[in-house]
Amino acid sequence: MAKFPSVAWFDAVRDVYNKDDAMHGAGSGTCNCVVGVQVGRELFQLTFEGFECSQAEKITRTKLDDCDFYLHMTTKDWRNMLDNIQEHGHATDNFTLNTLDLGRVEGLSSSTHNDQYREDLFFRYNQTLQFFFDGSSRVKTTY
Amino acid sequence: MDQQLQNGSEFELDLGWMEKQGEWGTHAEPSKNGLTLADIQVGSYGDAPVESRNLSGRPRGAISRPGSMPIGNYTVRTKSEIWLENASFLYEEALQRQWSSATDIPWDTIEPLPDDIEQAQCQMATFLTEVEFVAGDVPSRWVSQMSPDFYEARNVLMAQVMDEARHMDVFRKRALANGGGLMRATGATSGFVGGIDLARDFTEMSSRLHLSGEGAVLTIFRMGELMAYNDAEKAIYRLCAQDEARHVAFGVMHMRYMAANAPERREEIESYLDEAESGMLTDAANPAGQLNQTSESLSIMLGGGGKYFDEGFRKLVSIRKRQLQEYQKRVTSAGFGDRFKNGRSRLGQMLENVAN
Repeated sequence: MAKFPSVAWFDAVRDVYNKDDAMHGAGSGTCNCVVGVQVGRELFQLTFEGFECSQAEKITRTKLDDCDFYLHMTTKDWRNMLDNIQEHGHATDNFTLNTLDLGRVEGLSSSTHNDQYREDLFFRYNQTLQFFFDGSSRVKTTY
Repeated sequence: MDQQLQNGSEFELDLGWMEKQGEWGTHAEPSKNGLTLADIQVGSYGDAPVESRNLSGRPRGAISRPGSMPIGNYTVRTKSEIWLENASFLYEEALQRQWSSATDIPWDTIEPLPDDIEQAQCQMATFLTEVEFVAGDVPSRWVSQMSPDFYEARNVLMAQVMDEARHMDVFRKRALANGGGLMRATGATSGFVGGIDLARDFTEMSSRLHLSGEGAVLTIFRMGELMAYNDAEKAIYRLCAQDEARHVAFGVMHMRYMAANAPERREEIESYLDEAESGMLTDAANPAGQLNQTSESLSIMLGGGGKYFDEGFRKLVSIRKRQLQEYQKRVTSAGFGDRFKNGRSRLGQMLENVAN
């Protein structure tokens, strides 16, 4: 049981993602980027290196500059997405990361540096990121 | 062989070839991701020449054969014409992130759709099959013209050709999978898209194909998830978008290298961008632009049917705005952002037009 959002929760999801070979094929595979996650006012950083998500840590706002891009939603919107994933085993309908990004005026993915080459990593590794969050369906989550 | 045995010691093996070796004693070691191209950039093997005189197909680092005849038509022999800093990385990424249109798309999730939506999906699939044909055809023409000394960039392009083949086949499969079929060819391969193939120079081709063309198609693929009606269509568009983002990355990084290493070509590249902005981003070749068949089919899919065309069109306009903004930021990232401040680019005006 892990509480969202917390480093412990991201570590539990990392464990699922890192150990499941099925999440490293089918258009996923090697992934190298640093992803920020903003849940309400709380900030986390995920580091993807090759075939694993090697680290999850809590960060301050200035550390967002180190992120290639960061995903930002209210706590309620994150919960809606995670509930959908829990219910179906993976994100469906309007709850995939890309759909959330397109469907929201403010988008889901942003950056502090405004460099589109780095922001494009959200598109380049989208399936990997989707598999990662879909892995949360196997983590007992509290809020 | 019998003759050799009979002659015995009268004939000695000529093992002179053993002395003709490149740099020796190399121990390339695998990194965390296996033995990648980046890991074998060791010693002189990692040095791509500024100017290549290799016309014989000699692998970079191998010893040349004196007197050998030219075997390749290598017109691209200057590093700045083709180079990008992360080619090795992009190539490995392309290999490791491949997917199969046969088995990685959940085709069983496709169910019958209302006629107008199925027709719109099939029209879009027809259009994208046409476009992806050009996107595969063009780089493949250039591959054979690149010196083997720049094999990293060459390999990325060959991987791109494979990606485009898969895109062609997946959209063809989608058109034929749900009671519809291919529809009317849009003619997208004429005009700007077809004009990519007329490029006289690799950088001209790359600026048109990777930066402008693929960037616009990337937005369409991303948008695909909004107009998908099942998990199969969502997966198709998401996976195609990943590949396309990699191709765009090639273009951005190549332009960045050009901007830094061949400043004498800046003006020329600016003119390609002028052309792209007045062509690809505004005219009929842009699927989110003014071509009726595609913009109408997009609006129908985005709205949820012909009855909701206006709602779909509003979404299309908003996506088109995003397409232009992303293009602007990519060109800036590539080192050509001044054009948006010094009045050369008309993109600001286009964005205003889109907003209105």
